Amino acid sequence: MQNILLKKNFSSWLKQLNSYKVYAPVKTGEVWSYELIEKPENINLDYPNTIIPPKKVLFPQREVLLEFESSSVQEMKLKEVIPEETPSVIFGIRSCDARGLAKLEKIFKGGFEDIYFLKRNRHTVLVGLACETPPSPDCFCTSVDGSPYSKEGLDLLMTDMGDRYHVESITKEGEKLLEAGIGLFNDPEETVKEELERIHRESEKKIKRHIKDIDKISSKLPEIFETEFWDKESLSCIRCGICTYSCPVCHCFDINDEVICTFPLKGKRVRTWDNCQFPDFTMHSSGHNPRSDKASRLRQRIMHKFNYFNENCMELLCTGCGRCISKCPVGIDIVEVLEKVRVYEK
Amino acid sequence: MKNEYIPKLAKIVSIKEEVDGQRAIKTFRTHFINNEDFSHKCGQCAMLSVFGKGESMISVSSSPLINDYLQFSILKTGRVTTALHEMGTGDVIGIRGPYGNGFPIEDWKGKNLIFIGGGIGLAPLWSIVQTAITKKEEYKELLLIYGSRTSKDLVYKEELEELKKKMTIHLSVDNEEPDWKEFVGFVPNNVMDKKPSPENAIAVTCGPPVMIKFVIKALNDLGFRDDQIYTTVENKMKCGIGKCGRCNIGSHYICKEGPVYSWAKLKTLPQEY
Repeated sequence: MQNILLKKNFSSWLKQLNSYKVYAPVKTGEVWSYELIEKPENINLDYPNTIIPPKKVLFPQREVLLEFESSSVQEMKLKEVIPEETPSVIFGIRSCDARGLAKLEKIFKGGFEDIYFLKRNRHTVLVGLACETPPSPDCFCTSVDGSPYSKEGLDLLMTDMGDRYHVESITKEGEKLLEAGIGLFNDPEETVKEELERIHRESEKKIKRHIKDIDKISSKLPEIFETEFWDKESLSCIRCGICTYSCPVCHCFDINDEVICTFPLKGKRVRTWDNCQFPDFTMHSSGHNPRSDKASRLRQRIMHKFNYFNENCMELLCTGCGRCISKCPVGIDIVEVLEKVRVYEK
Repeated sequence: MKNEYIPKLAKIVSIKEEVDGQRAIKTFRTHFINNEDFSHKCGQCAMLSVFGKGESMISVSSSPLINDYLQFSILKTGRVTTALHEMGTGDVIGIRGPYGNGFPIEDWKGKNLIFIGGGIGLAPLWSIVQTAITKKEEYKELLLIYGSRTSKDLVYKEELEELKKKMTIHLSVDNEEPDWKEFVGFVPNNVMDKKPSPENAIAVTCGPPVMIKFVIKALNDLGFRDDQIYTTVENKMKCGIGKCGRCNIGSHYICKEGPVYSWAKLKTLPQEY
């Protein structure tokens, strides 16, 4: 399999992908974010990680579900707004974020199907970029069943090898992208395999944050559900919600009607990201609120990721990207919280 | 792939004012504009849309045996329910669903059924009451214990009078009222007063959370086992299909795995409702 691409040929490969909409990290000021790329030849994959994970491409922060229109209260016209089915490719996804997308697929596919996510997902090819060095000092992917070069959820995995990329095909969809660049890829030299393993092994060693006994913590969580532990840990929370907005697997959303004109009635039903750390997230219209305090909301976030999802899907709802740690303005650190759970004695 | 988020259009065909005042309750009957398939089970819910206002999860109070209409009894509380209360006959709403598990009434054949409701909590029970009355031969004794703050807050007043001919009904109001001949006091006290037997029985209770709590205690005191007691739980919902992440109690999404729980199951879950 020819899978070695000289970096100087990268833009030529991208030019061959002109039938796809291409998303890749773009630097604006100091931060990187996934954006739709007009000129794919300008993509620069020399980046740490984006501020918002690539979930935003498949599950946009705001999306219209339907439009409604009526000239009298006795009639109503509905228009379903379905995502376009254009083949797309997202370049440069870190393994943690790719695993996040795989988990989101499980959530949006399980039981009732969510066609908005699934349609986009079906037409999107995911090209990963293994981490040679942890993009953040808060990375902890290896503690939550991941690795800096995990292939889970990806169609292709690229590894930076200095002046060239090793591009591993994982699925048929990925294979097609390689075929599109025929003539640009070379056969791997004999030493590549060894070199690749060395790069991956080294990158794993550079991860500084670790959670001990994650399985034990996961099963211990229900035992400390009704303790003052959560009051202490949530004390500094200012319920800004950055932990969940920046999370590659948080998927809670709100649905609201936006009215453009009241008579004749014209408007849109819109889905937006929502946040379990907001006080009104669970508030009933009566005013009763089952998770009315910060303690119960932090507990929900941790329980959902490390216990409830595990119970329902046999896996964790965290991929160790470390964004919630780096971004939290008051220093709530999920790795520390879990360590405290591990050693907590009632 | 079916798009679960698109409601089916329905017309309001009748509106009945059950309760007026601050805590107004109206009963709406709806017809789908196109012949839509909506086969619900007793205790399931539907996501109702008032376009321009939003959606709200409401239990279907009509029996699945009725094909002509769907019925919803709605307490005026938030944005959507207030808008519904302002609507008239012929107005168009959206309906999607049915959602949730529903009551396991197939398992209850040959048993005595005891329904215990408070206030608007009679609405979710009403679909089983109606179904059980229609298929009376499948069940043993049927008993309804129902109460509200005042006699004005009771729903289905006329229907209850009719129903008294077919089954035993014990009503209550919280405080003394002139001309009130039935029980005075809270619903759990009425349960203790009437002492239904746990023998071959299932008790189903629905109402304000505090009422449910004390009804369950009363039933336990009367000898009902936890697996003989059923109730429904409600939480704020947006999607109805287990995705939006807010109605969960522990690992359960009420919109999918609920809203009906046996007390034996519910007591093992976190009390976040």
